[in-house]
Amino acid sequence: MPAASSTFDYEAALAACAGGDRAALHRIYQHESRRLLGVALRIVRDRARAEDVLHDAFMNIWTKAASFDATRGEGRGWIHSIVRNQALSAVRSSGREVSADEDAIEAIEAEAVANAAPMAEAFEINADLGRLDECLERLDTPKRNSILLAYVDGCSHGEIAQRLNAPLGSVKAWVRRGLLSLRECMA
Amino acid sequence: MNADDLHVLAGEYVLGTLPAARRAEVEARMSNDAALRTAVEQWQQKLLPLNEVAAPVEPSAALWSRIETSVAAKVAADRGTRPAAARPAVAASGWWNSLRLWRGLAATGFAAAAFMGIVVVGKLAQPPGPGYMVVLVGPQDKSPGWVVQAGTNSQQARLIPLGKVDVPADKSLQFWTKGNDWKGPVSLGLVRPGESKEVPLDKLPPLEPNQLFEITLEPYNGSPLDRPTGPILFIGRAVKII
Repeated sequence: MPAASSTFDYEAALAACAGGDRAALHRIYQHESRRLLGVALRIVRDRARAEDVLHDAFMNIWTKAASFDATRGEGRGWIHSIVRNQALSAVRSSGREVSADEDAIEAIEAEAVANAAPMAEAFEINADLGRLDECLERLDTPKRNSILLAYVDGCSHGEIAQRLNAPLGSVKAWVRRGLLSLRECMA
Repeated sequence: MNADDLHVLAGEYVLGTLPAARRAEVEARMSNDAALRTAVEQWQQKLLPLNEVAAPVEPSAALWSRIETSVAAKVAADRGTRPAAARPAVAASGWWNSLRLWRGLAATGFAAAAFMGIVVVGKLAQPPGPGYMVVLVGPQDKSPGWVVQAGTNSQQARLIPLGKVDVPADKSLQFWTKGNDWKGPVSLGLVRPGESKEVPLDKLPPLEPNQLFEITLEPYNGSPLDRPTGPILFIGRAVKII
């Protein structure tokens, strides 16, 4: 699959979609649906919902293909962003973050203060992420965990606080500083 | 907003940590805030490699046909706004409102109905008697493909094929009707090519003159929606016979 993905011309397929070529949408699906479903499933955590997300995302790809601008970025990235957006909208609008209620957060914060052991890595990454990999390496563990939990698992601040057993305020600060460090490192 | 705040906002939007209201706000702002839009696009590109972390998952076989059906319905709906002459087939959504189609059928379809009435009566086991008859014709060539007959107060109608239709293995034929004042068409179930079918009408209002009937090509086992999604293969209106 990676070989096929790297040679597939996403920009040409999107241009064909914009011209009304339904076979081009099918080609995108054939090349990318397994990865896209994997990405959506990590975020929405339910197989049927993930397929709903992919259905809606492909409808978006079809209707928005004409607005894709190859001078502003790559076709594959554009497609992935549509799927992630759809998945994030699905979990944020369903109010999944409500699960981290104020009491729970306070309890976690109290516990976190008492339990100041060094944080373990939340992720073991086997994929080759290039420059991003190096820049993530430079972050300290809490910032790296926060960024990865947010991006890969679609966690809200509250969910990250629960997963890392850390105060909500700390998580917000880690995300902010993590983003600024990444930006500086990747500039 | 300083530069750091802008990049953090864009970054949190891409990460997905913003609550729903803030997400919507960023999306609304992006259309007229070029700096924010660029910042978001930069984060999308920078973080894209992280999509490799999720293990690929094989979609179910039904997912692509669902997408295909929705795209076909969208295409048909979009075509519905263009002149009928430009369409390869009558748009599936809104056919019941297509004046043009019905003007065309009024000229040729009803003539066919009168003609077919004579031909078909000879083929039927029982003379239709007083009641309704519909000849379903191709929307393009107006060639008759099916006949529907029902008694005046009959609780069922009979759908009779006049020939064989080729249907791809992954598709089904679906039969629909719509009265003049109904909001949309109602499914009368799936139809097998070349086979007669008794169709119960007891759940529907009594048959009325000019009631529409049609057969559409749908995904296997029928439209996933409460209305047709595929192209119309045959269409006709009920005429009263004495």
